[in-house]
Amino acid sequence: MMPLFAQLVDKVPGIFFGLPLVALASLIFAATHHEDPAEIRFAAIHWAVWLGGILGLVLAAVLLLGWMA
Amino acid sequence: MVAVAPRKNENSRPRVVAVSPDDGSAIDLRNPALAALLSWCVPGLGQFYQGRTHKGRLFMGAILGTFLAGLWLGGGKVVYASWKPGDTRWAYVCQAGAGLVALPALVQSMQLNGVARQPLFGSGFMAPPLAPGQYVSRSYADTLVRTDPDIDAEDFFDKPPLRQFRIDQVSIWHRRFGRWFEIGTLYTMLAGMLNLLVIYDAWAGPLGTPTDDDRKVHKKGTAA
Repeated sequence: MMPLFAQLVDKVPGIFFGLPLVALASLIFAATHHEDPAEIRFAAIHWAVWLGGILGLVLAAVLLLGWMA
Repeated sequence: MVAVAPRKNENSRPRVVAVSPDDGSAIDLRNPALAALLSWCVPGLGQFYQGRTHKGRLFMGAILGTFLAGLWLGGGKVVYASWKPGDTRWAYVCQAGAGLVALPALVQSMQLNGVARQPLFGSGFMAPPLAPGQYVSRSYADTLVRTDPDIDAEDFFDKPPLRQFRIDQVSIWHRRFGRWFEIGTLYTMLAGMLNLLVIYDAWAGPLGTPTDDDRKVHKKGTAA
Protein backbone atom coordinates (compact mmCIF):
# COMPACT_ATOMS: atom_id res chain seq x y z
CA MET A 1 0.00 0.00 0.00
CA MET A 2 2.91 2.40 0.63
CA PRO A 3 3.76 2.92 -3.04
CA LEU A 4 0.10 3.74 -3.72
CA PHE A 5 0.11 6.24 -0.84
CA ALA A 6 3.34 7.75 -2.12
CA GLN A 7 1.80 8.13 -5.58
CA LEU A 8 -1.24 9.81 -4.06
CA VAL A 9 0.89 12.26 -2.05
CA ASP A 10 2.89 13.02 -5.18
CA LYS A 11 -0.37 14.08 -6.86
CA VAL A 12 -1.24 16.51 -4.02
CA PRO A 13 0.35 19.64 -5.57
CA GLY A 14 -1.50 18.97 -8.81
CA ILE A 15 -4.77 18.41 -6.95
CA PHE A 16 -4.17 21.62 -4.95
CA PHE A 17 -3.76 23.70 -8.09
CA GLY A 18 -6.51 21.82 -9.85
CA LEU A 19 -9.17 22.67 -7.25
CA PRO A 20 -9.45 26.35 -8.29
CA LEU A 21 -10.00 25.18 -11.86
CA VAL A 22 -12.79 22.85 -10.71
CA ALA A 23 -14.30 25.78 -8.80
CA LEU A 24 -14.00 28.05 -11.83
CA ALA A 25 -15.59 25.54 -14.18
CA SER A 26 -18.41 24.92 -11.68
CA LEU A 27 -19.06 28.64 -11.30
CA ILE A 28 -19.10 29.30 -15.04
CA PHE A 29 -21.30 26.27 -15.78
CA ALA A 30 -23.74 27.37 -13.07
CA ALA A 31 -23.79 31.02 -14.13
CA THR A 32 -24.41 30.15 -17.78
CA HIS A 33 -27.37 27.94 -16.82
CA HIS A 34 -29.07 30.32 -14.39
CA GLU A 35 -29.83 34.00 -13.91
CA ASP A 36 -30.74 34.33 -10.22
CA PRO A 37 -27.69 34.78 -7.93
CA ALA A 38 -29.03 32.37 -5.33
CA GLU A 39 -29.65 29.72 -8.00
CA ILE A 40 -26.17 30.30 -9.39
CA ARG A 41 -24.63 29.70 -5.96
CA PHE A 42 -26.60 26.50 -5.39
CA ALA A 43 -25.88 25.22 -8.89
CA ALA A 44 -22.16 26.01 -8.55
CA ILE A 45 -21.95 23.79 -5.47
CA HIS A 46 -23.93 21.11 -7.32
CA TRP A 47 -21.55 21.25 -10.29
CA ALA A 48 -18.48 21.29 -8.03
CA VAL A 49 -19.57 18.11 -6.31
CA TRP A 50 -20.21 16.40 -9.65
CA LEU A 51 -16.97 17.58 -11.27
CA GLY A 52 -14.91 16.83 -8.18
CA GLY A 53 -16.47 13.41 -7.87
CA ILE A 54 -15.96 12.50 -11.51
CA LEU A 55 -12.39 13.79 -11.63
CA GLY A 56 -11.67 12.11 -8.30
CA LEU A 57 -12.87 8.79 -9.70
CA VAL A 58 -10.70 9.26 -12.77
CA LEU A 59 -7.70 10.05 -10.58
CA ALA A 60 -8.38 7.02 -8.39
CA ALA A 61 -8.61 4.80 -11.46
CA VAL A 62 -5.35 6.17 -12.86
CA LEU A 63 -3.57 5.62 -9.53
CA LEU A 64 -4.93 2.09 -9.23
CA LEU A 65 -3.89 1.18 -12.76
CA GLY A 66 -0.47 2.69 -12.17
CA TRP A 67 -0.07 0.69 -8.96
CA MET A 68 -1.20 -2.53 -10.62
CA ALA A 69 1.11 -2.08 -13.62
CA MET B 1 -34.99 30.10 -24.77
CA VAL B 2 -34.77 33.17 -26.99
CA ALA B 3 -37.83 34.98 -28.31
CA VAL B 4 -38.52 38.13 -30.28
CA ALA B 5 -40.82 40.61 -28.53
CA PRO B 6 -42.56 43.44 -30.37
CA ARG B 7 -41.61 46.96 -29.39
CA LYS B 8 -44.17 49.64 -28.56
CA ASN B 9 -43.08 51.65 -31.60
CA GLU B 10 -43.79 49.54 -34.67
CA ASN B 11 -41.05 51.25 -36.67
CA SER B 12 -38.25 50.23 -34.28
CA ARG B 13 -36.42 46.90 -34.32
CA PRO B 14 -38.07 44.10 -32.32
CA ARG B 15 -36.40 43.24 -29.05
CA VAL B 16 -34.58 39.95 -28.62
CA VAL B 17 -35.30 38.50 -25.20
CA ALA B 18 -34.37 35.33 -23.38
CA VAL B 19 -36.40 33.69 -20.65
CA SER B 20 -34.84 33.20 -17.25
CA PRO B 21 -34.99 29.50 -16.29
CA ASP B 22 -35.30 30.50 -12.61
CA ASP B 23 -38.39 32.70 -12.52
CA GLY B 24 -39.51 32.89 -16.15
CA SER B 25 -38.79 36.62 -16.39
CA ALA B 26 -37.67 38.18 -19.66
CA ILE B 27 -34.02 39.07 -20.16
CA ASP B 28 -33.51 41.83 -22.70
CA LEU B 29 -30.51 40.76 -24.81
CA ARG B 30 -30.44 44.12 -26.70
CA ASN B 31 -28.08 43.44 -29.64
CA PRO B 32 -27.00 39.81 -29.04
CA ALA B 33 -24.22 39.84 -31.64
CA LEU B 34 -22.68 42.99 -30.16
CA ALA B 35 -23.04 41.58 -26.65
CA ALA B 36 -21.27 38.38 -27.73
CA LEU B 37 -18.44 40.38 -29.32
CA LEU B 38 -18.09 42.53 -26.20
CA SER B 39 -17.95 39.39 -24.05
CA TRP B 40 -15.16 38.04 -26.20
CA CYS B 41 -13.24 41.31 -26.02
CA VAL B 42 -13.53 41.53 -22.22
CA PRO B 43 -15.19 38.59 -20.41
CA GLY B 44 -18.45 39.78 -18.88
CA LEU B 45 -18.59 43.10 -20.76
CA GLY B 46 -21.44 41.84 -22.93
CA GLN B 47 -23.45 41.06 -19.79
CA PHE B 48 -22.76 44.61 -18.52
CA TYR B 49 -24.01 45.96 -21.86
CA GLN B 50 -27.23 43.99 -21.34
CA GLY B 51 -27.67 45.32 -17.82
CA ARG B 52 -26.91 41.96 -16.21
CA THR B 53 -24.33 43.50 -13.90
CA HIS B 54 -24.16 40.68 -11.35
CA LYS B 55 -23.24 38.11 -13.98
CA GLY B 56 -20.95 40.59 -15.70
CA ARG B 57 -18.96 41.12 -12.50
CA LEU B 58 -18.89 37.38 -11.84
CA PHE B 59 -17.64 36.46 -15.31
CA MET B 60 -15.15 39.30 -15.48
CA GLY B 61 -13.65 38.49 -12.11
CA ALA B 62 -13.56 34.73 -12.58
CA ILE B 63 -12.28 34.54 -16.16
CA LEU B 64 -9.84 37.43 -16.05
CA GLY B 65 -8.67 36.44 -12.58
CA THR B 66 -7.89 32.90 -13.70
CA PHE B 67 -6.17 34.11 -16.87
CA LEU B 68 -3.99 36.57 -15.00
CA ALA B 69 -3.26 34.01 -12.28
CA GLY B 70 -2.08 31.59 -14.96
CA LEU B 71 0.05 34.27 -16.57
CA TRP B 72 1.65 35.04 -13.21
CA LEU B 73 2.22 31.37 -12.30
CA GLY B 74 3.96 30.85 -15.63
CA GLY B 75 6.27 33.82 -15.15
CA GLY B 76 4.51 35.81 -17.88
CA LYS B 77 5.74 33.36 -20.54
CA VAL B 78 2.81 30.99 -21.04
CA VAL B 79 0.75 33.13 -23.42
CA TYR B 80 2.41 33.39 -26.82
CA ALA B 81 1.55 32.64 -30.43
CA SER B 82 3.92 30.47 -32.42
CA TRP B 83 3.41 28.43 -35.56
CA LYS B 84 7.01 27.33 -36.09
CA PRO B 85 7.61 23.63 -36.78
CA GLY B 86 8.64 22.09 -33.46
CA ASP B 87 6.91 24.76 -31.39
CA THR B 88 3.36 25.09 -32.68
CA ARG B 89 1.58 26.66 -29.74
CA TRP B 90 -1.86 25.05 -29.92
CA ALA B 91 -2.55 26.29 -26.39
CA TYR B 92 -2.88 29.80 -27.82
CA VAL B 93 -5.99 28.73 -29.75
CA CYS B 94 -7.67 28.18 -26.35
CA GLN B 95 -6.05 31.21 -24.69
CA ALA B 96 -7.34 33.48 -27.46
CA GLY B 97 -10.87 32.74 -26.23
CA ALA B 98 -10.17 35.10 -23.33
CA GLY B 99 -10.21 38.02 -25.74
CA LEU B 100 -8.16 41.19 -25.97
CA VAL B 101 -6.05 40.22 -22.99
CA ALA B 102 -4.44 37.54 -25.19
CA LEU B 103 -4.17 39.71 -28.30
CA PRO B 104 -0.71 41.18 -27.55
CA ALA B 105 0.73 37.69 -28.10
CA LEU B 106 -0.45 37.73 -31.71
CA VAL B 107 0.94 41.20 -32.30
CA GLN B 108 4.28 40.26 -30.74
CA SER B 109 4.53 37.14 -32.89
CA MET B 110 3.80 39.05 -36.11
CA GLN B 111 6.37 41.71 -35.23
CA LEU B 112 9.08 39.24 -34.21
CA ASN B 113 8.65 37.09 -37.31
CA GLY B 114 8.14 40.06 -39.65
CA VAL B 115 10.46 42.65 -41.11
CA ALA B 116 11.10 44.32 -37.75
CA ARG B 117 12.63 41.15 -36.21
CA GLN B 118 11.74 42.43 -32.77
CA PRO B 119 8.55 42.49 -30.71
CA LEU B 120 6.43 45.62 -30.49
CA PHE B 121 6.75 45.73 -26.72
CA GLY B 122 10.51 45.88 -26.32
CA SER B 123 10.70 43.82 -23.15
CA GLY B 124 9.37 40.77 -24.99
CA PHE B 125 6.13 40.49 -23.02
CA MET B 126 4.02 37.71 -24.60
CA ALA B 127 6.64 37.36 -27.34
CA PRO B 128 7.16 33.84 -28.68
CA PRO B 129 10.36 32.05 -27.65
CA LEU B 130 13.28 32.20 -30.03
CA ALA B 131 14.15 29.05 -31.93
CA PRO B 132 17.68 27.92 -32.83
CA GLY B 133 18.81 29.81 -35.91
CA GLN B 134 16.21 32.54 -35.61
CA TYR B 135 17.25 36.04 -36.64
CA VAL B 136 16.42 39.01 -34.41
CA SER B 137 17.31 42.68 -34.36
CA ARG B 138 20.40 43.82 -32.48
CA SER B 139 18.34 45.88 -30.04
CA TYR B 140 16.13 42.92 -29.10
CA ALA B 141 19.19 40.68 -28.71
CA ASP B 142 20.76 43.27 -26.41
CA THR B 143 17.50 43.52 -24.42
CA LEU B 144 17.41 39.76 -23.93
CA VAL B 145 21.05 39.64 -22.82
CA ARG B 146 20.37 42.47 -20.38
CA THR B 147 17.11 41.18 -18.90
CA ASP B 148 17.23 37.38 -19.16
CA PRO B 149 19.64 35.72 -16.69
CA ASP B 150 19.84 32.56 -18.81
CA ILE B 151 20.87 34.30 -22.04
CA ASP B 152 24.38 35.61 -22.71
CA ALA B 153 25.93 37.50 -25.59
CA GLU B 154 27.62 34.23 -26.63
CA ASP B 155 24.19 32.75 -27.37
CA PHE B 156 23.98 34.92 -30.49
CA PHE B 157 25.92 34.77 -33.73
CA ASP B 158 26.65 38.21 -35.11
CA LYS B 159 25.08 38.41 -38.56
CA PRO B 160 24.98 42.13 -39.40
CA PRO B 161 22.59 43.90 -39.34
CA LEU B 162 20.89 41.16 -37.31
CA ARG B 163 21.85 38.58 -34.71
CA GLN B 164 21.15 34.87 -34.92
CA PHE B 165 20.03 32.96 -31.84
CA ARG B 166 22.01 29.77 -31.19
CA ILE B 167 19.96 27.92 -28.60
CA ASP B 168 16.33 27.10 -27.80
CA GLN B 169 14.49 29.60 -25.61
CA VAL B 170 11.44 27.43 -24.85
CA SER B 171 13.75 24.85 -23.25
CA ILE B 172 15.17 27.62 -21.09
CA TRP B 173 11.68 28.53 -19.96
CA HIS B 174 10.76 24.92 -19.15
CA ARG B 175 13.97 24.50 -17.19
CA ARG B 176 13.43 27.74 -15.29
CA PHE B 177 9.74 27.35 -14.46
CA GLY B 178 9.34 23.58 -14.33
CA ARG B 179 5.78 22.47 -13.66
CA TRP B 180 4.65 26.09 -13.19
CA PHE B 181 4.86 26.56 -16.95
CA GLU B 182 2.33 23.77 -17.47
CA ILE B 183 0.09 24.92 -14.63
CA GLY B 184 0.08 28.49 -15.95
CA THR B 185 -0.70 27.22 -19.44
CA LEU B 186 -3.59 25.15 -18.09
CA TYR B 187 -5.06 28.11 -16.18
CA THR B 188 -4.93 30.43 -19.18
CA MET B 189 -6.29 27.79 -21.55
CA LEU B 190 -9.23 27.01 -19.28
CA ALA B 191 -10.03 30.71 -18.85
CA GLY B 192 -10.14 31.10 -22.63
CA MET B 193 -12.27 28.03 -23.20
CA LEU B 194 -14.79 28.86 -20.46
CA ASN B 195 -15.18 32.35 -21.95
CA LEU B 196 -16.82 30.64 -24.92
CA LEU B 197 -19.71 29.73 -22.61
CA VAL B 198 -19.83 33.35 -21.42
CA ILE B 199 -20.02 34.52 -25.03
CA TYR B 200 -22.90 32.13 -25.65
CA ASP B 201 -24.67 33.43 -22.53
CA ALA B 202 -24.39 36.99 -23.87
CA TRP B 203 -25.68 35.93 -27.27
CA ALA B 204 -28.58 33.67 -26.27
CA GLY B 205 -29.14 34.06 -22.53
CA PRO B 206 -28.87 31.33 -19.90
CA LEU B 207 -28.90 27.74 -21.15
CA GLY B 208 -31.37 26.52 -18.55
CA THR B 209 -31.66 22.98 -17.32
CA PRO B 210 -34.70 20.71 -17.67
CA THR B 211 -36.55 20.24 -14.41
CA ASP B 212 -38.02 16.93 -13.25
CA ASP B 213 -41.47 18.14 -14.37
CA ASP B 214 -40.09 18.92 -17.84
CA ARG B 215 -38.62 15.41 -18.04
CA LYS B 216 -41.96 13.83 -17.02
CA VAL B 217 -43.85 15.85 -19.66
CA HIS B 218 -41.28 14.86 -22.28
CA LYS B 219 -41.56 11.17 -21.34
CA LYS B 220 -45.39 11.30 -21.52
CA GLY B 221 -45.11 12.95 -24.92
CA THR B 222 -42.76 10.31 -26.35
CA ALA B 223 -44.77 7.44 -24.81
CA ALA B 224 -48.05 8.63 -26.41
